Amino acid sequence: MERNSSHSDGKEGKEGFLEISLRPFDLSDVDDLMVWATDDRVSRICSVVTCTCREEAVKYIKDCVIPHPWYRAICIKNRPVGFIKVTPNSGGDRCRAELGYALATKYWGQGIATKAVKMVVSSIFSEWSHLERLEALVLVENPGSQRVLEKAGFQREAVLKKHLTHRGRTRDLVMYSLLSTDPKL
Amino acid sequence: MERDSSKSDENEKEEEFSDISLRPLDLSDVDDFMVWATDDRVSRFCRWNTYTSKEDAVNYIKNTVIPHPWFKAICIKNRPIGAISVIPNSGEDSCRGEIGYLVASKYWGQGIATKAVKMVASTIFSEWPNLERLEALVDVENPGSQRVLEKAGFQKEGVLRKYCIQKGSTRDMVVLSLLSTDPKL
Repeated sequence: MERNSSHSDGKEGKEGFLEISLRPFDLSDVDDLMVWATDDRVSRICSVVTCTCREEAVKYIKDCVIPHPWYRAICIKNRPVGFIKVTPNSGGDRCRAELGYALATKYWGQGIATKAVKMVVSSIFSEWSHLERLEALVLVENPGSQRVLEKAGFQREAVLKKHLTHRGRTRDLVMYSLLSTDPKL
Repeated sequence: MERDSSKSDENEKEEEFSDISLRPLDLSDVDDFMVWATDDRVSRFCRWNTYTSKEDAVNYIKNTVIPHPWFKAICIKNRPIGAISVIPNSGEDSCRGEIGYLVASKYWGQGIATKAVKMVASTIFSEWPNLERLEALVDVENPGSQRVLEKAGFQKEGVLRKYCIQKGSTRDMVVLSLLSTDPKL
């Protein structure tokens, strides 16, 4: 599958006086990545990888972020304030990919995640021609993220009970999906 | 995870579930395996394609069935007429396992799959103490199999659209689950 190596601009909203862009991470972003990777308020509501020190964060960028098929920094003025990623599958599951994202708490409540999701949605299906389904799993206790997906046109399909373990407890997750044939909002 | 190597549980269940028993499948069962493996009606909603050679069946039993964490033949008078398996997950996903089953078409409509699923549901949670969720994915066009699971106490959680590719097309799949805390029917 092709790698999105071009920058994409989120200048669409006249509503958006906050312009965001998506770009690949590099090692020089480690301090910005540490902001959300060390924040308990972020790791409490999603499965974001946490880092306790700079070394761990550098290793994470090297070993997981850079080699990932589609992992981008959500940037304001080219500084990362969060991430968004799409994880593909293979074989009989290659028609679907999983969306994940997180933002530093300072930037919550400003429509940034919604913009970033819409940007991904507008390009991922043409980048990956096998892809028919983009899905996202959100903790039931995370209504903010559920709203992000709904505003981006995702459909709520199911609550998967005790689907995975997060912070030592089994959790109920809401499954959302957007198909390549669904209207883009 | 432990392998069920004792037959005592099955003897007990044989009284309760009269006609069928579960036991490991081995190479000597290959001819009985071929009965369902060569049947298009059985393979239609399964992830594998209809078998055309005994050698392929032998390889499947050697390479997939025998090392499998939980794979049993469904037997009548100790002769396999179907199979049932549970696939575990690891890490933060280890609270859930996926159940799958099939019955040779000659034996359809007699409640055998339902019995087999109930037998598994009654033991798997004690065999695998980390397991809290048993889930199943069923093609939307396979209502018979949905009924099997509902009769065994599974709850339909939703429909996952264009979830996977089977037999060359993307399929909508019903997701059903049984929790360790749910009543066993």
